Amino acid sequence: MQLAPSQVNDDFCDCPDGSDEPGTAACAHLSPLSPPSLGNAPFEDSNTTLALPGFYCKNKGHIPGYVPFLSVNDGVCDYDACCDGSDEWAKVGGTKCEDRCKEIGKEWRKQDEQRKKSLTAASRRRKELVAEAEKLSKQVADRIETLQTQIQGNEIKIKGLENNVADLERQERGKVVKQPSQPGKLGVLAQLAKERIEELRESLVDVRAQRDTSKERLLELEGILSTFKEEYNPNFNDEGVKRAVRGWEDYAARDKPQIGNEAQDRDLDEIAKTDADSGVINWAEWENDEEGDVDVLYKFEEYLPESIRGWIDQKLRDLRLVLIDNGVLATHRESDSESKELTDARNELKSAQDSLEGNKKQLDEHKEDLAKDFGADSVFRALKGQCIEKDSGEYTYELCWLTQTKQKSKKGGGHTTMGNFVSFETVTVDDVVPADGKGLGSGARIALKYENGQHCWNGPNRSTMVVLACAETDELWKIVEEEKCVYRMEVGTAAVCGIDSQGNGAQQPRDEL
Amino acid sequence: MLSSVIRVQLLPLLLVTFAILESAVSVKHENFKTCDQSGFCKRNRAFADHVTASGSSWASPYTVLPNTVKIKNGFVTGTILKSLGDGQPSIHLPLSIHFQEPGVARITIDEAQRQKGDIELRHGSPARKERYTEVDKWVLVGQSESDPGMKGEFSQKETIVSYGPGNGYKAIIRHSPFSVDFVRDDQVQIKFNGNGMMNLEHWRPKVEKEKKGSEEAKEGEEIKEEPKEVSTGEHGEDESTWWEESFGENTDSKPKGPESVAMDITFPAYEHVYGIPGHAGPLALKETRLYNSDVFEYEMDSPMTLYGAIPLMYAHRKQSSVGVFWMNAAETWIDIEKQKQSSNPLSLGIGAKTDTKTHWISENGLIDIFVFLGPEPKDIIQQYSARTGNTQLPQEFSIGYHQCRWNYVTDEDVKDVDNKMTRHHIPYDVIWLDIEYTDGKKYFTWDEHTFPDPLGMQKQLDASQRKLVAIIDPHIKNEANYPVVEALKSQDLGIHNKDNNLYEGWCWPGSSYWIDCFNPAARKWWDSLFTYQSFKGTASNLFLWNDMNEPSVFNGPETTMPKDNLHHGNWEHRDIHNLNGLTFHNATYEAMLKRDHPAKRPFVLTRSYYSGSQRVGAMWTGDNQASWSHLQASIPMILSMNIAGFPFAGADVGGFFGNPSKELLTRWYQAGAFYPFFRGHAHIDTRRREPYLIGDPYTQIITQALRLRYQLLPAWYTAFHTASTSGYPIVRPHYYVHPSDEAGFGLDDQFYLADTGLLIKPVVTEGATTVDIYLPPSSTYYDYFTFKPYTGGGTVTIPAPLDTIPLLMQAGHIIPRKDRPRRSSGLMRWDPYTLLITLDEHGNAEGELYIDDGESFDYRDGAFIHRRFTFSAGRELRSSNFASGIDVQGSGKKAKEYAKRMSGVGVEKVIIVNAPRTWEGRGTVVVQEEGGRRRGGQRCSFSAGRRGEARIGRW
Repeated sequence: MQLAPSQVNDDFCDCPDGSDEPGTAACAHLSPLSPPSLGNAPFEDSNTTLALPGFYCKNKGHIPGYVPFLSVNDGVCDYDACCDGSDEWAKVGGTKCEDRCKEIGKEWRKQDEQRKKSLTAASRRRKELVAEAEKLSKQVADRIETLQTQIQGNEIKIKGLENNVADLERQERGKVVKQPSQPGKLGVLAQLAKERIEELRESLVDVRAQRDTSKERLLELEGILSTFKEEYNPNFNDEGVKRAVRGWEDYAARDKPQIGNEAQDRDLDEIAKTDADSGVINWAEWENDEEGDVDVLYKFEEYLPESIRGWIDQKLRDLRLVLIDNGVLATHRESDSESKELTDARNELKSAQDSLEGNKKQLDEHKEDLAKDFGADSVFRALKGQCIEKDSGEYTYELCWLTQTKQKSKKGGGHTTMGNFVSFETVTVDDVVPADGKGLGSGARIALKYENGQHCWNGPNRSTMVVLACAETDELWKIVEEEKCVYRMEVGTAAVCGIDSQGNGAQQPRDEL
Repeated sequence: MLSSVIRVQLLPLLLVTFAILESAVSVKHENFKTCDQSGFCKRNRAFADHVTASGSSWASPYTVLPNTVKIKNGFVTGTILKSLGDGQPSIHLPLSIHFQEPGVARITIDEAQRQKGDIELRHGSPARKERYTEVDKWVLVGQSESDPGMKGEFSQKETIVSYGPGNGYKAIIRHSPFSVDFVRDDQVQIKFNGNGMMNLEHWRPKVEKEKKGSEEAKEGEEIKEEPKEVSTGEHGEDESTWWEESFGENTDSKPKGPESVAMDITFPAYEHVYGIPGHAGPLALKETRLYNSDVFEYEMDSPMTLYGAIPLMYAHRKQSSVGVFWMNAAETWIDIEKQKQSSNPLSLGIGAKTDTKTHWISENGLIDIFVFLGPEPKDIIQQYSARTGNTQLPQEFSIGYHQCRWNYVTDEDVKDVDNKMTRHHIPYDVIWLDIEYTDGKKYFTWDEHTFPDPLGMQKQLDASQRKLVAIIDPHIKNEANYPVVEALKSQDLGIHNKDNNLYEGWCWPGSSYWIDCFNPAARKWWDSLFTYQSFKGTASNLFLWNDMNEPSVFNGPETTMPKDNLHHGNWEHRDIHNLNGLTFHNATYEAMLKRDHPAKRPFVLTRSYYSGSQRVGAMWTGDNQASWSHLQASIPMILSMNIAGFPFAGADVGGFFGNPSKELLTRWYQAGAFYPFFRGHAHIDTRRREPYLIGDPYTQIITQALRLRYQLLPAWYTAFHTASTSGYPIVRPHYYVHPSDEAGFGLDDQFYLADTGLLIKPVVTEGATTVDIYLPPSSTYYDYFTFKPYTGGGTVTIPAPLDTIPLLMQAGHIIPRKDRPRRSSGLMRWDPYTLLITLDEHGNAEGELYIDDGESFDYRDGAFIHRRFTFSAGRELRSSNFASGIDVQGSGKKAKEYAKRMSGVGVEKVIIVNAPRTWEGRGTVVVQEEGGRRRGGQRCSFSAGRRGEARIGRW
């Protein structure tokens, strides 16, 4: 397509790609965002993209920039991108945009220097964080090593202790059993048990009575609330009432354990009877206990002649051990009668085993921790668990690195969890960085995803996307509720300085105005 | 007899349904009355049934006393006697029929004893004794000159009046019983009391009865009831609803007893009736909609009115339209019955004509009715608007796109949305703040936590000439140390209860009082609240939104005020209920008018309205739902408002309640781009849905729809100008544009944009890929985007995939538009125009363009440009001053200044569809300025491949 020179920048769109009007808004409509129109693009279907990104502003004394064509000659001085005011060259409606590049440029350079300084400081800070993180991971690695050694030691020790216990048990089982002492431990036990059972029975009756009262009160309360829900006037939109109704609905929707049923009550009735009434246990019978048959069986050697008793005793002992070891015969246990020595040995073994378990668990945790993603250079290891806050509107918001996000009402009331840390994400942003540098800029950014916070009535569980940009100090810049209970935090931190969103390579410092 | 009845209630009801658990919006049925629960409605229906059952033996007890009839200066006056029988004295009802230019009649009937105040009120009520006579003070603003040609012929039997254009209209006033027939073209067009259902319940003292009445009921409303357990009066009437009436927990003390008025109005041989917004049903109140008397939900096809009422009804048949306007502000029910004329029983209905019989019932007030005889729909709306006022010429920004949500939560949030719209190159003009911006729902305050810097926010918006709208409601929070409520209380500016103390009720803020805008002192005080000194944190780009002005009272009967509440002048709330919203809206308009010096045109959105509200702002259809059926219903609802003289109407785009699917939202934007009032809005519990959040391709398609709206803004603004001078609708249903095309009388899902010839059929169904559009006979249309031609005389199917808005252009029109996308309408001011021309078969086309500064009242001093474009005989496009007589461009200082300022704005491009083939190969056209100065040849190109499209370059 050929045009006469006079057709260039004549404020009339000739070229299908707008290339004849780099200096006017005449081709601004050539965009997939415009309604399609045959008559619009010069006999071409629209939806063509423009040849140029926008109107070029020389911005002498500052850095050049592009203003969208749709902002050219609209009566507004777009100093953000066009400090020389050249976007309003047609002076429509008497618009005058003086050249402000001198001061804007000066200010920009000042801020740019500040930014660079800040950036240097941020890089330094990141290095510190990385060093800190390295130190922390080294600590973990060291700890793992120690733990592994400890575990080996534990295992050896346990082996020894196990042998010891086995020996002692052997001896214990083979020991000649003495006559039961008078008047019989079982009798005492029975006495104690009787008292204890009586006490339990009484408590049961009491608790049951309390339960029944509570049940009635609960029913009454549920009745009140359910009427309340039916009858309240939703038009009032009273936050408190709304919350109460919501709470009740959540409560009502939950599976509730049934409190008591007839069968259970019958059982309780039975249990609550005194033993004399129920005839379940005749305590008198037990209070004068005789040796049981089994005991006699265990102790029959006592009735043999002295001469062979020793030999038979030994044989029987071995046989019994064999039987016991093979599970044929039950172990003869009278805990009371177990020797202190054996108990101690067992305890020692138990504690050694616990110690091993503990160490193993710790080892797993530390191994997991070491393997976990803490971002590039594991830099977030240095921040984990630390929190930063910001006031916004009627709330104070809190971001705790890699753990939780929270919302606290200034009007009082508790915290609301806005999510628990789940993973690192990449988010594409397209924002203008304000002069103070506290903004995300545009491009891909590292983000921390927090999910499964407190449930929102008529909505999802709260969640937060924490989008990060490089800054000297860790700071919560901005919180927005993007939609119902879905939050977004914009946060500056040195942790992401100089890395791209994939967590590697070098992220160029943002250099937008 | 084939008949069906539609019953419409004109009590603006409020529909606030928050805390909805299911997605369906459901009104609590028990909160709203049925006719049976509304005593006066029940009595009048029973009366009508009795009249119908009595057949020809029934004689209406109302007669005109012949010797009282006077004919003078356009008026026929006299006294109607209501006979009570049984030797009781008759009731005197003063009658006035005013014949006005041009062919409009107004019938007014009052009650003499109450005019004189010669009655006693029960319970020592301080209420006024007269019937409410002041509706017209609020509603009527214009024309009321008597018809100078009006002549009357009196005889004992009847009075016959001839009036109207060429004295071609006749009103036949029969004296006994009283009835009026209105005649045009030798045909009776409208009959009053033709069926004898007229009723005016006269005042009577409450008689504590001893004896049971044994006489037969003879009086008008004396319906013989089975003497069961009803309390019966001395004449055997059912008195149970005469005195106290209870509904829910509220008891209406009814100090004046029964006082309803009713009239039957028949439209012989008219099958279609339209109008009486607002209700959520089809435009044409048709036979196909069956009797549906007491389903009270904002559900589709419900005859119940919602937030506002305009009691203007059209009856239409081929080549003839007539209308009535029932000017009464009390609760009103309208029954509509269609009846086949049974003159020839052997015809079996073939060729038989259908009459529409209507029965209008109001709780009290006057019988006060305007009669319009057409003959075209536009004559009726023009005459109605000449009386109740044309819609205001709005600020231009207000016909752009409005971005609203309950709520933008902080000033930063507002600024962020503003930035994002800019960055995504999506045009919009206004962002809105719902009730949460206030400190604890105290209007005229800001929440200091969430809106610490309101002025900074407004400054940012102003940088791209965008505006802010904030909500202000009529309930004033009852809280200590709140200066607004302290002033209201100390100066006694609120509405009173029946005991004449300040009325306290519940609304958003909890305990509240309501400003009484019937009180001039209250309105004066209201003015003072909007000054920049008083309403701190507001700048000149802040405008207003009035909600809850029905008024909505959460703990009141039917969510509004007790009817025995008292307003200024001791009028009962029942007298003025339907006017309440208008008075509040009006007060805010007046306050805004006084805020700026020199004054700028206010913009105030209202939810409640009455005839006359169109003068002071825009309305929306209230709390709709994110569903396809609500999108569908929005079209007839908005068309209904447009033919009822309140064209600045819209529905919440996307649906207020619930989350629309992306497809629904996209389709809703495409439809909304053709609502006169175009606002996206969402409930606080819904997900964010600003256009840029939806994601492509939806965001892109929505942006296209928004840019289409902005591209056509010159056509829209011209349409608003036409509405503001003539009352003509901005969006027009088929029957209005083609009043002779019977096949299209039922259409309410496609419509025209004013006089532009643009025909829109929004897609309102899920998954559509095409739509069927009905085109009238012998017409040619072109697709707006592809220029593909369609021939009329039936239904055509046109493609409508998601990215396509079904939009056609009728041949013969010139559409002005601005093609350059900008951030807001204000920034388009200096852009050149494009003229899109569709030539008809003779190579002709015409169109118009109205421009002014879009914000001030300078246009009244001639500071405007109004051009008529004509294209004739396929040769010549001419632009000339529009000389309509009403507004010829002035030659004053402001006019000259404006003309000078606009001298740089011209036409950059002319696109001609259906251009003559002979143009092919021509390279230039000749352009001449006014005065004949030749400006030389302009480039031009021709493309036959595009069905004859020519495109001409910059002028």
